[in-house]
Amino acid sequence: MCKNIAITGCGIIAAKQIGSAKHLCFSGFSYPVGEVDYSNKELKDMLDIPCSQLVSRTSLLGIYAVREAAANAGISTDAFGKCVLVSGTTVGGMDLTEQYWNVIDTNPSVMLQHDSGSCTDVIKQYFGFFDRATTISTACSSGANAILLGAELLATGKADIVFAGGTEALTRFHLSGFASLMILDKDVCRPFSPNRSGLNLGEGAAFVVMETAEHAQKRGAKILCYYRGGGNACDAFHQTATSPNGEGAYLAMTQALKNACLEPRDIKYVNAHGTGTINNDESEIAALKRVFGEELPIVESTKSITGHTTSAAGAIEAVICIKKMQENPSLINVMDNSFGFGGNDTSLVLSVNPSKADIIKYNNNIEIETIARSEITSEEELDDIKQFLKPTEYRRMGKILRSSLLTSLRALKESNIAVPDAIITATSLGCWNNSEAILDNIDEPKPTLFMQSTHNTIGSNIAIYLKCHGYNITYTHGRSSLQMALDDAEILIKSGKCKNVLVGLHEETTEKYRNLMKNNGVEGLKPLYSLSMVLTAKS
Amino acid sequence: MDSLISELKSRIIEALNLEDLHVEDIDTNAPLFGEGLGLDSIDALELIVMMEKFYGIKLADASQGKAIFRSIATMADYIEKNRTK
Repeated sequence: MCKNIAITGCGIIAAKQIGSAKHLCFSGFSYPVGEVDYSNKELKDMLDIPCSQLVSRTSLLGIYAVREAAANAGISTDAFGKCVLVSGTTVGGMDLTEQYWNVIDTNPSVMLQHDSGSCTDVIKQYFGFFDRATTISTACSSGANAILLGAELLATGKADIVFAGGTEALTRFHLSGFASLMILDKDVCRPFSPNRSGLNLGEGAAFVVMETAEHAQKRGAKILCYYRGGGNACDAFHQTATSPNGEGAYLAMTQALKNACLEPRDIKYVNAHGTGTINNDESEIAALKRVFGEELPIVESTKSITGHTTSAAGAIEAVICIKKMQENPSLINVMDNSFGFGGNDTSLVLSVNPSKADIIKYNNNIEIETIARSEITSEEELDDIKQFLKPTEYRRMGKILRSSLLTSLRALKESNIAVPDAIITATSLGCWNNSEAILDNIDEPKPTLFMQSTHNTIGSNIAIYLKCHGYNITYTHGRSSLQMALDDAEILIKSGKCKNVLVGLHEETTEKYRNLMKNNGVEGLKPLYSLSMVLTAKS
Repeated sequence: MDSLISELKSRIIEALNLEDLHVEDIDTNAPLFGEGLGLDSIDALELIVMMEKFYGIKLADASQGKAIFRSIATMADYIEKNRTK
């Protein structure tokens, strides 16, 4: 009997249309957005959170969606076994950080909610039933990767119930960042239209409740649909542009279909990434045609309604897929595409029908060993990058990008591997030097800095240099990030999906950040730290 | 025009972190994108930012950059004709 992964609940909060922003804590932003039509105060009132309590909008939206998903799945206590929260977010507490940035020295505690992991912890703590929480940040595919990971935690018996999804609030930081990339549309976006001219940013959150079909039946839960499979691949082309033939998207879709034991003709509906930029839509259509041939299934982008909700998009669109299947019984199998900065591309397949095969064949008898490791603890060592790269190749890379690439290249060289099967990154803060520089000049950030300000810049920078199209993911959950990355590497190797995995822990801080954290009682943060390891199965 | 070309080259070196290059290494007529210096779409955005900051030229659409940034010569020519500072 195979272990099917059922979805037994979903919760969603997103904009119902694109329009002018009403609730942003700053003015002067003229582009239309997909804004959730509740102020922070209204959200707090609905969630019984005291108005005086400092909570990031990202967490508020997440709590709202998780609460709805829990009610939908009939979960209100911890009586249902090991319950894990997997959330995708990149913005994290940036909405609070940017509001307080000019007076941050006198409000250092705001930084305790800045990082993505602590935003997830706020959601976890609101509910009494989560045993643990994990945070994934692969920019605009974070929510989809959270669902993919959630299914694997269930399939490998590491969880009994998973709440997986994503949450992201609109911030001045990424609104002006996307504006600097000149890809925002001044009107309502028109994905896949010949006259499209960019995207609209949006915000929101969505979570699905996942459990094995057996577990759902045992507790008498109604099964909404099945998670049939997922594919995670890296375009390994450019930090912001997608490759002309959509290689990463093609690989993600074909892997998801294979994982789901389905043929392209079985898919009747694709909720595309479809941002509305010239580049994305062109390359996504190229990839769709490579997968489905000239006769495409229904391909739709719902971003013209919700806006591009970045880290939440994959989850929001998965919930839209579920609603579509419920409304239209002819849609048996559907696909949800989400592509992120750095080419972190993920595709999910959901179905009314259970699968005929396990999504993972897990062999717990396989032992894992670390065959190489390389560490960097100070900036002085970064000069060694010249042994591997030309100046034109590293000219844009900040400290953390250089240290992460250098330790990766050293570890791979030591293990005689040219291109690893997968790249898994752990980082609690991501590219903080760039983020801080953007915060200091928030209305006119340098495009190069914004392009390299997400957590997954680190892992995708390595993938782009190595042309590594394999599985690529980033964990960002404080000090637990590395353990989460190692756990994922273990799943990849024990399931036979990968022979070797490059795992890295990469952190950078500024003096300002260290001082702020010192005032919060956090000591010993280093300016720079990189550790790269190559893991394989013990022979 | 010659001084603008030289000024432009050093501003490009700075804006795009081409730290191993000197003004004399950049061919005025060589393509900036693809071959030549091998710049990409993000570099084009940095050049747009640079033109606004130093020469008061604002491009509404990134695709306009394609023709302007063909080479240092075409860029200098465009700046000369459209500069507001």
